[in-house]
Amino acid sequence: MRTDGLQGAAFGPRVPPAAFSRRRLLAGGLAAAVFAAGSLPAGAVFAEEGLAARFAGPASAAPPRVAVLDYGLAETMLAFGLPPVALAEADDWETWVVEPALPEAIVNLGAAQEANLELLAALAPDLILSTPWLARSEARLARIAPVETYAIYAPGVTSPYEASVTQTRRLAARLGRAAQGEALVAAAGAQMDAIRARRTARAPEPALQGPVLLVSFLDARHVRVYAPNGLFGEVMARCGVANGWTGETNYWGFAAVGIERLAEMNAARLIALEPVPSDAAEVLDRSPLWNSLPFVKAGHVQRIPAALMFGMLPSAMRFARLLDAALDAPPGNRLGWAAPRQGMHAHG
Amino acid sequence: MAEPRRLVLPAVAGGLLLLAAAMSLAAFGRRLPLPLVPGALMAPDPADIRQMLVAYSLAPRMASALMAGAMLGLAGALLQAALRNPLASPSTLGIAAGANLALSVVTLWAPGLLALGREWVALGGGLAAAGLVLALAWPRRLAPLSVVLAGMVSVACGALAALLALFKTHYLAGLFIWGGGSLSQQDWTIPAFLAPRLALGTGLAVLLLRPLTLLGLDDAHARSLGVPVALVRLCALALGVGFATSVVSVVGVIGFIGLAAPALAHAAGARRLGERMLASAVIGAGVLWLTDSTVLLATGELGEMVPTGAVTALFGAPVLLWLLSRPRLVALAPPELAEPLPRHGRPRRVLAGLVLALLAVVAASLMIGRGLEGWSLDHGAALDALLPWRGPRAFAALAGGAMLALAGSLLQRMTGNPMASPEVLGVSAGAAFGLIAVLLVDSAPGRSLQLGGAALGAAVALAAILAFARLDRGAPERVLLAGVSLGAMFDALVTALLASGDPRAALLLGWMTGSTYAAEPMDAALGLGVAALGLASLPLLGRWLDIVPLGPSVAGGLGLPARVSHGVILLAAAGLSAAATLIVGPLTFVGLLGPHLSRRLGLGRALPELLGAALAGGLVMVLADWVGRLVAFPWQIPAGLAATFIGCPVLMLLLARTPSR
Repeated sequence: MRTDGLQGAAFGPRVPPAAFSRRRLLAGGLAAAVFAAGSLPAGAVFAEEGLAARFAGPASAAPPRVAVLDYGLAETMLAFGLPPVALAEADDWETWVVEPALPEAIVNLGAAQEANLELLAALAPDLILSTPWLARSEARLARIAPVETYAIYAPGVTSPYEASVTQTRRLAARLGRAAQGEALVAAAGAQMDAIRARRTARAPEPALQGPVLLVSFLDARHVRVYAPNGLFGEVMARCGVANGWTGETNYWGFAAVGIERLAEMNAARLIALEPVPSDAAEVLDRSPLWNSLPFVKAGHVQRIPAALMFGMLPSAMRFARLLDAALDAPPGNRLGWAAPRQGMHAHG
Repeated sequence: MAEPRRLVLPAVAGGLLLLAAAMSLAAFGRRLPLPLVPGALMAPDPADIRQMLVAYSLAPRMASALMAGAMLGLAGALLQAALRNPLASPSTLGIAAGANLALSVVTLWAPGLLALGREWVALGGGLAAAGLVLALAWPRRLAPLSVVLAGMVSVACGALAALLALFKTHYLAGLFIWGGGSLSQQDWTIPAFLAPRLALGTGLAVLLLRPLTLLGLDDAHARSLGVPVALVRLCALALGVGFATSVVSVVGVIGFIGLAAPALAHAAGARRLGERMLASAVIGAGVLWLTDSTVLLATGELGEMVPTGAVTALFGAPVLLWLLSRPRLVALAPPELAEPLPRHGRPRRVLAGLVLALLAVVAASLMIGRGLEGWSLDHGAALDALLPWRGPRAFAALAGGAMLALAGSLLQRMTGNPMASPEVLGVSAGAAFGLIAVLLVDSAPGRSLQLGGAALGAAVALAAILAFARLDRGAPERVLLAGVSLGAMFDALVTALLASGDPRAALLLGWMTGSTYAAEPMDAALGLGVAALGLASLPLLGRWLDIVPLGPSVAGGLGLPARVSHGVILLAAAGLSAAATLIVGPLTFVGLLGPHLSRRLGLGRALPELLGAALAGGLVMVLADWVGRLVAFPWQIPAGLAATFIGCPVLMLLLARTPSR
C-alpha cells in the first residue's frame, strides 16, 4: 500500500496550501495515528521516532523546487518535510530505500547517471542536487538550473556518517530548513546513543555481544560485506556493536568477497540485508563449510529488510533500528532463513 | 627440425603445471601447515575452520580450476577445428552471453527459478543461444562464415544483459561476479558437476578425431572422402558448446582460455588435431590453475576480490600478443573469403533510398518525443527549446554510426573476415583503457579529462596495431587477433571493476554501451567533420579496396603494394574508430552491422559499399538513439545497445532468407 493519499498529495509541488494544512496536522501529533491506520509498519517507526512530526515544521512561503539525483539527498529532504519535485530512479525507491515512502507526485528522472534532460528542462527546477559521482553530467545540468554537489562517498571522505552530518546541515541551510537539519542530526545521534546505552546496560549473553558481520548476498557464493568505514559500519560502532569484518574495504565502505572469506573472521553473528537471492539459502544449507562457521552453528544468522547502504542520516537511523531489533531477536531455527518477513517490510 | 619441436610442447605444458602446482601449494600452506593438509583432505575436523577451508574451499577450487581449464581448452580446440577459424572461441557462439542473459532475466523476473539451480538456468540460456546460432547457420550447411555471422545472437544477448545491468545495477551485482568467472567454492558441488561432463565429452571428442582431421582439408575434399561434413561439424560444435556451457554455467565466463589455449598449443608445436586437442586441454588446465592459485595468494593483499576469469584474460592477452609478435610461431590459415552476394543493378537507387531514409529518421528523432504530457510532435518554439538537447545527440549518433560502419567496412574488405570490426581492431578497447585509467586516478573526472584519457588510450592502441602491421607486412589476421587480445584485456579490467562492486563501474558501463548522453554540439560537429573527411577520401582508396579482397598475390600482380595499401587502410580505419569511440563510445555493433547491411542491400563494389555502409550505420544509430530515448521514458536506453536490438534481428532475418547454395 502506498501513502499517496496521505503524503503524496500533501507534498506535491502544485498544492502548497493543502500541504501546509496537512503538515500542521502531522505536526499536531496525528502522524502516528495516520501511519498506524495505514498499517505501514515501516512508516510506523518513522512516526514512532517522531521524525515526521518533528521535521515537517511550517515552511517558508515558497519552498524551492528541487530536483535530486541521489537517494540519500532525497531522503534527507523528505525528512526536512520538503519533498523534491523530481528524483532520479524514483521507481526503484521501494526496493532500496523503503522508508520514508516516496510521495507519488515526484517525477521520475530515469537513471542517475543519465537523468532525462528534456524532462528536467521542462520541469525547470530552482536547484539540482547532485553528488561527485555524477560529476560528468554537471555541465549539462547547470544549463537547466544551479547544481550543488554534496559529497558523502568520495575518495578522501573518511567518515560517511560525519560527512552526512556536515552535508545535512549544509543542505538544511541551503533550503532554509536549518532547524530541521539540526533536529535530524540530533535525532540520529540520540537514537544511536540510546541503542548503545540500552545494549551495554542490558549486558545480554556473551554470544550476542560478539562481532557482527553485516552482508548483502550477491549470489550463493559471494557477499558484499560492510566494513567499519562505511555508513552502516559507523552506525554499528555508534550502537556499540563490534564489526566482524576486519579485512579490506573501499571508500564506499564494503568489500565483495567469497563466502569462505567470512570463515577467516571471528564473528559471532551474521546479519544479511534484503534482498537475498532465492537460491542462496538452499545452496548454503548444503555446504559443510558454511555449516561449520561459528555463527551458523549457533543459529545467529538473520535477514533484515532492505536499507539504503549508500544513504544519509535517515537510512542510518532506519538501519540502526533494524539492527537493534535483529540483535534482540532470539536465535531461531538453525539458519534463520525461514524467519517470517511479514511485517518487517513495508511493501514486500 | 622435428626433435626440438617435439620437446617444446611437453616442456611448455610440464613447466606450466609445475609452476601452478608450486603456487597452489603455497596457497594451501598459507591456510594450513602443509603436513596437516593430507589429513584435512581425508577427514576434516569440523571444529577446525582451517581444515574445513582446505577440504571444502581450497581443494574443490583447485579441482574446478583444473577441470574447467581443460574443458575450455578442449572447447576452443574443437570450435576452431570445426570452423577453421583461429578467432573462434566459446564466446563467439553466444554461449557465455546466452547464459548470462538467462541468469539476468531469471534473477529479475522469475527469482523462484533460481532455486532449481543457477547452473541449469545458465545452461538453458547458453544452449538456447548456441542452438539459435546453429539453426540460423544450418540452411547453409554450417559454413564457417555463416556460423560466425550468426554469432550476432551472442552480440544481441550480450546487449540485453548489459541493458538489464544498466537498469538494475544493484540487483545484478552478483551477475557481475559471475560474469567475471569466480572460482570461489564452499563445497564439492561444482567439481562433481564438471567431472562426469569432462569424462563423457573427452570420450566423444576421441570419436570425432578422425572425421574432424579430414575436415581440416577443405569441404570438397572431405566430402569426396566420404565425410558427412555438416554432421561432423555439427557434432564438433555441439560438443564444444557443451563443454563451454557446463563451465560457464557453474563458474562464469572464463572465455580467454578457449581462445588462448589452442593458440598456445599451436605455438608450442602441436600440429596434428589429436595432439592439439590434448595440448589445449592440458595447457588450458595449467593456465587456469596457475591463474587461480595466484589469485588466491594475492587475495587480501590486492584489497578487493578479483574474479579469476578476469585475471585469466589479463594474464593470457599479453602472452598471446607476445606469440603474435613472433610470426614464425603462429601460422594462421587464411579464413575463407567473404561469400559473394547478389548485387543490385542500380547502386545509385539504393544509395538515394538510404539518404532519404536517413533524412526522415533524423527529422523524426528531432521532432517526435515524450515529455511530462506524453507524446508530442514538436515544432516552432517548442522545437527550438528541445533542439539543444536532441540535436547534438542525433547528429553525434549519425557521425558515430557512419564512422564506425566505414571503419568496419574498410576492415572487412581488407581482411576478408566478416568478423572484422573496430572492436576487433582494439582501438575502442584502447580508448576504454584510457577512460578506466582516468577513472582509477580520479573518481569524478570532468569531461575533458575523460576525453583526454580516451584519446591517449586510442592513440596507444593505434600505435601498437601499426607496429604489428609493420612487423608482418600487414598480415590482417595477426592484426585482428592482436586486437582481440586487447579487447579481452579490456573486458577483463571492466569485469574486475564491476565485480568489485565499485559504483564507478556504472559510469563506465554507460559509456561502453554507447550512450550519446554526453554529446555536446562541438562533439557532433567534429564527428560529422571527420566522417565527411573519411567519405571524401574514399575515391582515393576505391581501386585499392576493390583489389585488396582478391588476395595478396592477385593484388601484387595488379601492381598494388600490399604493405602500403594495408597500412593506409588500417590507418584510416583506426582513425575513424578512434574518433567515433571518443564521441559516442565504443559502439562496435554498428561497425559490424553497417557493412553487412550495405552488402545485403546489394552494394558490392568498394565505393558504393562503403557509402552504403556509412549511410546505413548512421541511419541505424540515429534510429537507435531516438528509439532509445522513447521506449523506456524517462529512462534512456543507450544508442549502442538500441542499435544492437534494431540491427541484429534485421541481419538475422536477411541471413535466414538467403537461399542455401
